[in-house]
Amino acid sequence: MTLKKIFEEHPERRYIMFGGKGGLGKTTFSAATAYWLAQQGKKVLVFSVDPQASLSDIFQQDIFGKGPVKIMENLWAQEIDADQHIKAYQNEIRKKILDMYGFEAVPEEIEQYIQAASAEPAMEESAIFDAVVDIVVGADYDYYIYDLVPLGHALYYLSMAKVYDEWINKITKLREEMREYEEMVSRLKREKETEEDQILTELQYIRTRINASSSILTDKEKTGFFFVIIPEEMILIDTSKAAELFAKFDVPIMGYVVNRVVPRELLQQNIPAYLKNRIEMQDKYLGQIKTMFGQQVAAHVPELERDVTGLDMIRQLAEIMYGK
Amino acid sequence: MSKQEKKSFWQNVKEILYGMASHDMSRYALRTRASMEHLFILITMGDMIGIPILPPYYSLRLLPYVVPQIATWKRRLLREKDLSDAMF
Repeated sequence: MTLKKIFEEHPERRYIMFGGKGGLGKTTFSAATAYWLAQQGKKVLVFSVDPQASLSDIFQQDIFGKGPVKIMENLWAQEIDADQHIKAYQNEIRKKILDMYGFEAVPEEIEQYIQAASAEPAMEESAIFDAVVDIVVGADYDYYIYDLVPLGHALYYLSMAKVYDEWINKITKLREEMREYEEMVSRLKREKETEEDQILTELQYIRTRINASSSILTDKEKTGFFFVIIPEEMILIDTSKAAELFAKFDVPIMGYVVNRVVPRELLQQNIPAYLKNRIEMQDKYLGQIKTMFGQQVAAHVPELERDVTGLDMIRQLAEIMYGK
Repeated sequence: MSKQEKKSFWQNVKEILYGMASHDMSRYALRTRASMEHLFILITMGDMIGIPILPPYYSLRLLPYVVPQIATWKRRLLREKDLSDAMF
């Protein structure tokens, strides 16, 4: 099945992801797909959750941390600036503490904690995770294209949702138990209703945020995940392992896109042995790809003469992937 | 006037009964509640005393609500020999 057909047959799949090992062409395919969809008259947002995002490079426009930036008719691109997001968030917490208790300044040990927590490695991922929720629950676009982080991170990203959810469940339970004791005391003292537990309300809010994002990632109806691969042994081994893990997290895999295929037409010409050997090697692995993924292979994309940057190259690539 | 006295008399009886019957119970419930509060802070803000807890991003959201309890929580954890003592 071709890529075009997949999109035509599943118009309800609005959250499109390209995943794969680093440097195989996730960003390039995300951009080309977004370009094509925009040309079909769909309103598209392509965004990156990678702290080292490269959408700015491919669109040749600095969009980092600027919110959704319009690239052309129907097409917006966004790179999330995690640091900026974290700083704004820290300030929000500080302000809340000052407002709640009428402090002049945040107490020192609390301030230290706020800073230490933000230095933690998980903080950046969580901040991006949270920012993504804002983007996707907005529902302003027909299509959302996730330019995902390399595989390992993507898995971490997915499993994080599960870990968060369990963590929240546990503390919510404890909080509810605490509430029961509070109500018991009120009854014994014959006081009126106990105050609303604001922490419990917060916890419920956090849970809805986490579920919103992870449910989209694993939504069989609305989400489609493409693996980007190249015809090389190591990539195939890693990808099939990752595909298994993704299946465990219920990520709906829509297909495989094979990148960097050296054009076979070259064999007609007088080419050096080096190139001939590469073509032979690729032939071997293309055969393997066929037996491994069969019908799921949605497209073969040739190795291009130059790297894909700028709208003109993106258009050329989109034509290769989706037809003119 | 007499009605007022009567009311305060009943009020007294009520309070004596409360003292006899349920004061201990509510004291116990409050104590348990306080221990749970500290347990709660531990599992959300554990990083503060060096116990790594997942995930800091959302812990921060809860921080403002526990600010007043942080000092007593730290004191308590340092005083108790064993965490399980603090829990029960």
